[in-house]
Amino acid sequence: MTTLYVLDVPENTPLAKVAADDPDVTVGRIGPYFEIVAEGPIVIDRRATGCRHAVWYSSVAGVSRGSRIAQHDKDALRVEPA
Amino acid sequence: MTKLDHRVQGVDHTAFPTFDPAGTVRFYRDVLGFPVVHSICAAGWGPEDHPDFIHFFFDIGNDDRIAFFYYFGLEPVHGHRRGDVYAGFGPEVPEFFVRSRHLAIHVENEVDLLEYRRRLDVSDWPVEMQIKHETIESIYTHDPNGYMVEFTRAMRPITPQEDLDANLTVDALLDVVDEGEPTFGKLLARKAELIVERAAEWEPAQAESRR
Repeated sequence: MTTLYVLDVPENTPLAKVAADDPDVTVGRIGPYFEIVAEGPIVIDRRATGCRHAVWYSSVAGVSRGSRIAQHDKDALRVEPA
Repeated sequence: MTKLDHRVQGVDHTAFPTFDPAGTVRFYRDVLGFPVVHSICAAGWGPEDHPDFIHFFFDIGNDDRIAFFYYFGLEPVHGHRRGDVYAGFGPEVPEFFVRSRHLAIHVENEVDLLEYRRRLDVSDWPVEMQIKHETIESIYTHDPNGYMVEFTRAMRPITPQEDLDANLTVDALLDVVDEGEPTFGKLLARKAELIVERAAEWEPAQAESRR
């Protein structure tokens, strides 16, 4: 199980939208956070989000134990089971 | 933890030494237009080696002030070319660290940001960078003493959930630092736990406090 948390602020909403496009990914909420969950990896394409550097590289609020960030660069954010 | 009431009212003054009072006055008063609002002419007192000095202040808005000490007869305290007159750094110190300490002055909007950009750009201390960090926009330069000065505007208001997030970040940071060998990964894992523990109950509490 892979779980990623992203704070719900205006510039982060495209991230949650792009994540939700993957049918294997569920985007729920816990308080003011998006809770992005999948059995396998979660992959978010940066260009699809339209996020630029400052927002992109500070968009992750939390990654549950049992998951790890495998990639977070100019192309994509990839979180997978540890 | 008992909630402590928050009584302070911003920056009274922040103070820096200078070896170049002429440049400092030109930069803050004549280029930026910050009024001189206070000064102290003091004969050295206390320890015998304390020189006579002038302590002078500029208004940086909101009645907050930036102040400088000019010590008569004091020679520069270091010979490094990197850093500022207070702290110099050798080549072993990474650039991001040297550039980390700065004063950021708030402006209301883009018009005001660009006005300060215009004033700096016609001076000897032109803007070195103008960056939109997506939620804020800033310009940067170094004053005649080498101190980094930023002017910044918010591109949207800060939301209440960002305060929650900041508090979870700080609590997670203290936990992973306390644990030893802190890493960004450990912080995000600890923060995920705090989100699960505390984020759900935050929204009802917010709604309650708005009543």
